[in-house]
Amino acid sequence: MKSFVLGISAFMLTLLTIISMFVYQKLDFFITSPPGFSEIDDTTVSAPGGPAADALRPVDYEASTSYSLQNDELRLTYNQGEDWVNVPIEKEQLFSGEYQGNKQELMEHSYILTEDRAAFLHAESSNQHVRSILLTYSLDQGATWETSEVTDAFPAMRFRKVDFVNDQFGYVIVSGDRTMSQEFSTVFLTHDGGETWEETNNSGVSRMIADGGFVDESTGFLSFGTIDPAEPMLYVTQNGGDSWKEAAFHIPEEYDHVFVIAETPVQEEDQLTVLVDQGPNGDYAGGFVKGKFVSEDNGETWDFLEEVDPDETASE
Amino acid sequence: MKQRQNKVRKWQKIIGAILLLLAIGFFCLQMGYLFIRSSHLIDYIDHRLFYIINIACMIFLASGVFLFISTTRRLKIIGSGIVLLLIVVQLIMLFNSNNLIKSVTSLSPDRKNVLSIKENLQTTEVVYYRPHFGIIGRPEERLLSPVKGDFKVEWLANDAAAVTYQTADNNTQQFIATYGDRGGGTSYYYVGAEIHGTWQGENVQLVSDTEGISITTDGESEHFEWDDIHQFGTLAVVLEKNNEAAWTVSLDENFQVNEDTPERQNGNITLYQATMNDNEPIELTKQIE
Repeated sequence: MKSFVLGISAFMLTLLTIISMFVYQKLDFFITSPPGFSEIDDTTVSAPGGPAADALRPVDYEASTSYSLQNDELRLTYNQGEDWVNVPIEKEQLFSGEYQGNKQELMEHSYILTEDRAAFLHAESSNQHVRSILLTYSLDQGATWETSEVTDAFPAMRFRKVDFVNDQFGYVIVSGDRTMSQEFSTVFLTHDGGETWEETNNSGVSRMIADGGFVDESTGFLSFGTIDPAEPMLYVTQNGGDSWKEAAFHIPEEYDHVFVIAETPVQEEDQLTVLVDQGPNGDYAGGFVKGKFVSEDNGETWDFLEEVDPDETASE
Repeated sequence: MKQRQNKVRKWQKIIGAILLLLAIGFFCLQMGYLFIRSSHLIDYIDHRLFYIINIACMIFLASGVFLFISTTRRLKIIGSGIVLLLIVVQLIMLFNSNNLIKSVTSLSPDRKNVLSIKENLQTTEVVYYRPHFGIIGRPEERLLSPVKGDFKVEWLANDAAAVTYQTADNNTQQFIATYGDRGGGTSYYYVGAEIHGTWQGENVQLVSDTEGISITTDGESEHFEWDDIHQFGTLAVVLEKNNEAAWTVSLDENFQVNEDTPERQNGNITLYQATMNDNEPIELTKQIE
């Protein structure tokens, strides 16, 4: 026992010292710029003998399919950064409209990036005023690119989302022309894989849009009320956007004013479900619990099913 | 007497075992850190922690061994000498490492958030680390570099720290590390839009409107267009002039984002000038229009 304890102790002391002297003391051990993280600014102040230009790094270094916005160019990788293809879009066009981030990562929902489809929603130019909205996409991992016009005139975008339900049917939801808490929002659909787009009828709602999406070619949703809403405001179409009407939520009394912002509904087996979160001021059970509602009539009415805790909602 | 000695011995063994377990815990922490740091892109938030943990491990190990097993006086002296020597070596390496890396760490006033910035003194890179598991952090953003002189850290709120520094070309820059949100964390919002209106502080007035933000101090006015205003997280904006930071505006903890009716905003904002001189943040209150 004594020898064992002394032996283990000597081993630990030796290993810690060796590592400290020969590994941790080396400069290249201090990774201060590992791959996969964004820079605050591309305009690094140059200095004599300063660092050379960086190698391209994917934004998501764990995913095989990712992108980089380094050097003000959008590039894609399908093999974790070994090879890169250029996307023929100017970086500023991707952030056109109401955007004040650091432009190091693409805006959530403004692009699709899978092995089968790369698609980027962007404006014709970075001009903040009325411009056409375009979708530039590739179905062959960047070998060839197509650009389709979603609309030829739209004010400065705020919310933007593009997604495809299947190979042919996809949707674009955009909002813009915001004045204080009011804005214009609309939906465009494609039935030919993104080549052509047509605008649906408008929901007529001018509150700020929080989310939206389609579950099939007929049924789509728009969720309104971004900050401080009193109850969920979800509009549904069951005819591919020809008409929209507000869905009814049957909220148990104890959850009144608790679950207030609807996310995009999803199909679960033969019914639709939607998570409704607590909004900015929610403090029920820590503020992160969401309410799960189900609809048996394709989204017109929603009944409370259960509370969903943060871990479950995060994994969904 | 012998019973008392046995009791003391028993407690020595228990304490020795606890210290040994602590030492093994620290050892495993170090090995685990070395093993996964590259694959998970993690690092200690302060590079000196590696040496400090080593030293703690060595002290616990030596104390644990001496308490847990019976050793001769000679062995204890030799063992203590070796461990002391190894601790001195660790201290020397700790001070040497400061020539390779400069770590800037600062605890928030409520001790819930840690600001971590590391400057690689050889490559001149400066990287902001976001803590993830207490003392472990991940590099998140690179700051403008090379940096001249020290970093000045000021916590504008418990979840917002302003880091002021000068680049080699004598430009003053400001980076805001944010750890919170004033809107419930459910959606992104624009600080500039949320502070729309007129704000008043002691000898300072700030006006945020569709044209940008104007700041009047002691009768002198400066205007910043939206293109020169850069948002950090959802808590602060830095106002720039000629590619230099001039002011930071941050949302106080009592500020509640109410995007549907921003004109009825309550709560305070803080104005902080970007300068390496000693200066205090200025609290501003919304003027009723």
